[in-house]
Amino acid sequence: MLFLRAVGLEPRLYFDDLHVGDEYTSPGRTVTEADIVIFAGLSGDYNVLHTDAEHMKSSIFGERIAHGLLGLSIQHGLLNRSMPAGVDLRFVGLKWKFRGPIKIGDTLHVRARIAATQDSDKPEWGRVTIDRQVVNQLGEVVQEGETEHLVARRLR
Amino acid sequence: MGPLARKSKLYFEDVEVGFVLETPGLTLTETHVAMFGGLVDDRPADPRGVPDLLPLCLSTGLGWRVPQPPLVVLAFMGFEWTFLRPACVGDTIRCVSRSVAKRGMKDGGVVIEERRIMNQRDEVVQIGKLTLLVAKRPPEPAS
Repeated sequence: MLFLRAVGLEPRLYFDDLHVGDEYTSPGRTVTEADIVIFAGLSGDYNVLHTDAEHMKSSIFGERIAHGLLGLSIQHGLLNRSMPAGVDLRFVGLKWKFRGPIKIGDTLHVRARIAATQDSDKPEWGRVTIDRQVVNQLGEVVQEGETEHLVARRLR
Repeated sequence: MGPLARKSKLYFEDVEVGFVLETPGLTLTETHVAMFGGLVDDRPADPRGVPDLLPLCLSTGLGWRVPQPPLVVLAFMGFEWTFLRPACVGDTIRCVSRSVAKRGMKDGGVVIEERRIMNQRDEVVQIGKLTLLVAKRPPEPAS
């Protein structure tokens, strides 16, 4: 597989391979303090919610929580890994709810389902809607939403 | 010193609907793409491309570079977002945001922020609406 990837021959998924009702469950990933510190440094979002352990002791969360957009990005990386042959999902739009906090040490995975497929205005691309839920180790849905993508069609 | 400069934090009561805030720019580099790719395992298919979620992730931090006290956000509740055009390494993005609605609740208030990410050609790259839960101003001790 690595060799195929290196020479650009990796089999990949196209729009034609995705069907309404297809479901994917990702591997898990434990969110660490390092993830939050690096995301704060990269994004420049040093909100006390994510960076001030002392302040957060007296908050409703009791401790620092991950940036919501870090959770969103991690779940996208996880879903990429769980689509068997790799697929280039170009984002068109998303609707997203942050349902609960992600704390240091939480282990997340993604449950995703293809909710809709339709033609786009470009013949070489199709439109795919994916419902996604980000679930923690307690089975709680911490984030969920719907993402819409353009996916390349197989060349005929 | 303006009225804003005397406050160290902005609360729900300070949010003015219609107020527009424009951030400084940030040039997207290969370093941003490599760090983001390593952190969250999301890499663009095109080697000069930028993952679609990266400008969105950088937009909140851009807001912190505007010289005004930070808004006391208790939670980011949700958002709707549209990706209008791709960003590339070398593009310089900035963010223009506007509070479009606010609604007081018992323990805080909900603020809807419209945010657009612009590039150096003044094209809108991404746009959307964010729903934020913002703290109300705590009662001040008499001085």
